[in-house]
Formats: sequence, structure tokens, C-alpha cells
Amino acid sequence: MAANEFPLTVKGLTKIYPSFRLDGVSFDLRPGAVTGFIGRNGAGKTTTLNSLLGFVRPDGGEALFWGMDMEKQADAIKKRIGFVSAGMTYYTRKKIRTITEVTKSFYPGWSDETYRRYMQRFGLEESKTPAALSNGMKIKYALALALSHGAELLILDEPTSGLDPVSREELTEIFLSLRDEGKTILFSTHITADLEKCADRILYIRAGRLAADSAMDDFAGAYRIAAFDGEAPAEMKNAALGICRTRKGGTALVKKEDAAAIHADWQIPTLDEIMTHLDREEAENA
Amino acid sequence: MKKLLMKEFRLCMHPAALIMLGLSALVLIPNYPYAVSFFYMTLGIYFICLDGRENHDAAYTLTLPVSRKQAVQGRMLFACCLEAAQLLLCGAMVLLNRKLLGGAPNQAGMDANLAVIGQGLIVFGLFNLVFFPSWYRDINKVGGAFLKASAAVFLYIVVGVAATYALPFVRDGLDNGKPECFTARAIYTAAALAFFMAATAFACRLSESRFEKQDLTL
Repeated sequence: MAANEFPLTVKGLTKIYPSFRLDGVSFDLRPGAVTGFIGRNGAGKTTTLNSLLGFVRPDGGEALFWGMDMEKQADAIKKRIGFVSAGMTYYTRKKIRTITEVTKSFYPGWSDETYRRYMQRFGLEESKTPAALSNGMKIKYALALALSHGAELLILDEPTSGLDPVSREELTEIFLSLRDEGKTILFSTHITADLEKCADRILYIRAGRLAADSAMDDFAGAYRIAAFDGEAPAEMKNAALGICRTRKGGTALVKKEDAAAIHADWQIPTLDEIMTHLDREEAENA
Repeated sequence: MKKLLMKEFRLCMHPAALIMLGLSALVLIPNYPYAVSFFYMTLGIYFICLDGRENHDAAYTLTLPVSRKQAVQGRMLFACCLEAAQLLLCGAMVLLNRKLLGGAPNQAGMDANLAVIGQGLIVFGLFNLVFFPSWYRDINKVGGAFLKASAAVFLYIVVGVAATYALPFVRDGLDNGKPECFTARAIYTAAALAFFMAATAFACRLSESRFEKQDLTL
């Protein structure tokens, strides 16, 4: 696939802070796929997204949207992307109608018909203010704005954090239907259960470095997890990438190829289990 | 730029700025330091920037297809529109003052005449010069930028009031309503306009360059 066909190509993205370093992050986003961007709090997810969007200035590397550089072709890129963040609500006391009217004036490709369709589908009323919306509805409004200006790539920063399970389920359904419409989604979250439902690919960031970039099934399938009572057997302990204690004993995460040699009831782990075991090991080694 | 200006008026206008416009009527008060009237508009601009921070205005603007440079220009043009509106209103109030109070001398600074508009231009020029470059160094620290700009403005106001007593050119040439001194007042106001334009243009360039480099904590 040619570089300009990828909605996003990131090469060696680096950002250095006094107490944190985003270290040479590289990945591609496949068109029409939902890519989950996971990592514990402080791992570098938001720094990566902020660097992509130009909110922070990277110290190295580059991010190309459809082969275009944000520094040089910001206008063309911003017309094709939409950014939605759970923690960011704009102009809370202004009427939604006013925010929409202002926003649409910046986009020549704005579609009123698409806007009305999504507002109706999401059950949003223009006479309300963002302050009067629930967190889930705020996300839906931000999505409606992005989709109405024809965004092909949606960058979502923790869109489901702080939402109740029903709202999270509803949003993941929406993301799946958007994917079916051909939209590309980069979905950053630490609530990995949401990604189990909708992600095609996983980017896993640990301490500022990209630790994994693979298809969802390959990512989970590369590991095995088993529970043990009391102390972990020595061979399990040696092969373990991470061990988490439980009330009765614990669970150990190993590489799939190491599991065959150790007698235990091995299961395919969830994203949550992979993250907690790997990040726990790293925290203990730090 | 027209779209950005519309965005500023429709989404960023703070009610306090409109109330401050109404304070142009302070020019009707006898024996009042009229230059202070202009300070209130700078307070209105401060409220707009403060409110913008709480409403993630910078993040919203930067997700639109506009550059950081254009975002700075939009905000500063918006501020200049408010400042121009206050200068026009104060101009009207100066005329009204002369009609109602008959051009009675002002014991607390400049008499109500054209030179008051010159003072306003200097107040706004100073404010723009100090406030915007300081604020665009870190848009989350709007209070510190306003304190620095207010210190500069109040220093000028105090010096301006003292000058109406101590400086012969100001005392005899500007601080009166005599028709024969109109040229001096016009030259002073034209020089103040030149200062305002130069200071604002310089502040805009400096603000653009600082905002370009800034890592936004949103």
C-alpha cells in the first residue's frame, strides 16, 4: 500500500519532557479499521495524540496524514480528520446551534443533511447547551460535527472514560457502524473491554515506547494466561512475563510458545489481563 | 480571517466586555481620570481569554482548519475591534461631556477633549504590547499576563495624570478645550495612533512566534 493511502503514518515520533519521554513511536493506520491505542495512564497515549494533532511540538519524527505533513498542509488534513476527546467540552454555555453554525463555516465540504441525520440518530437537540448534555451525548455531538464535515479519520481520546456500561456499549456500536461506512478510527483508551468489542488492530504503548502493533486476534493470541494456587510453580515463574496475585494465589502471563512446556490450564488472555500483567512487571522492574 | 472573527464574536464574547463598553460613560463624570475608562475594556479582554481557557477555546480553534498564526491574529483582531468600539464610544462621550458640562476643567487628569482618545490609544497599545506576548507564552497563565499588562497601564495612567500638572506641553497644550490648541491635540492623538498600531503589530508578531513554539496543555 502506498504511503499516501494510509490515513496516518507515524515515523519515530519523539517528545522529550523532563520526566517523560515519548520514544520513537512508529505505526500506520489501515483505512477503514478501528485501531485501539492502549496503555496505562501516563504511558504516552495523549502525548502521542497531541503530537499528531499539533497541540504539542514533537522533538523528532513525523506524522503523515494520507502522505501529507501536518506542519505544511494542516488545512487539507484538518478537513479530513475529526478529533473527539472525552475530557474536552467546548463552550459549555453556548447553544449547540451556535457552535454548529460557527463550526460549519470553516468547512466547505460540510453537509447539513449528514448533520441532521446524525443529530437525529444520536437524539441530540440543537437548543441545548453542552453543559446540559451527559458525557455520552457530548461525545456523540462531537462525532456528529466531525462526521458532518466529512471526516474520514476519527481520532478519539478516551471517548468512553467516565461513561456507564450502557453508554459505552452504545458508543462502541456507533464506532462499529462508522467503520462499516468506511471511516478509519484511532481509539485511545485504558478501558480495554471496549476494544475487545470493536478494535481490528491494537497499538500498545508502555512507558513512551510502542510495545505492540498487531491485529487484535494476533495480539491476544500471542499470550497465554493461567491461574495457580499458592506459590507459582518455578517453571511458570521463570517463563512468566508478569504475575498478578489473587486472594487464593495468582495468575501468570506467558508467551504462547512457552505455555506448551508448562503444565497448567492455559487460556487466551483478555487485553486487560495482558496489560495488567505486562505493566505490573515493568513497574516492579522500574 | 472573517470566519475566525465571527467565531470570536459568537463563541468567545464575554458579557463583561459588553458591560465594559458601557463604562465609556465614565467620561461624563466631572473630575475623573478618563484614561481609567479604557482600563475596563482591557479587563473585558482578560475575561474573554480567561473564559476561553475554561472552554478549551484554543483546542477547538486548532482543530479547525486554521493555523496557530491565524488563531493569534483572530484573537488580537477581536480585541482590537472591542478597543476601537470603546474609543468610538468614548469619542461620543467626550462630545456629550463638552455639551453637558460646557468643557469644565478636569481636576483629575486630562480634560474631555480629543487627547483623551490619544490616551486611550496609548493604554490599548501598551496593553496589547504586554498582555498578548506574555499570554501566548503560556495560554494557561492568563492572570499573570494581565497583572503585568495592568501594571504597565496603571503606570502610564498615573504618569498621564501627573503630566497634566507637571509637563508644560500637556498642561498648556493638551489639557484644555481651547480651539487654538486643537492642532497639538490632533498631533498627539495621531502619534498615539501610530504607537497603538506599531505596538499591536509588534505584539502580534511576537505572540505568533511564541504560540507557534508552545506545547499546549489542554
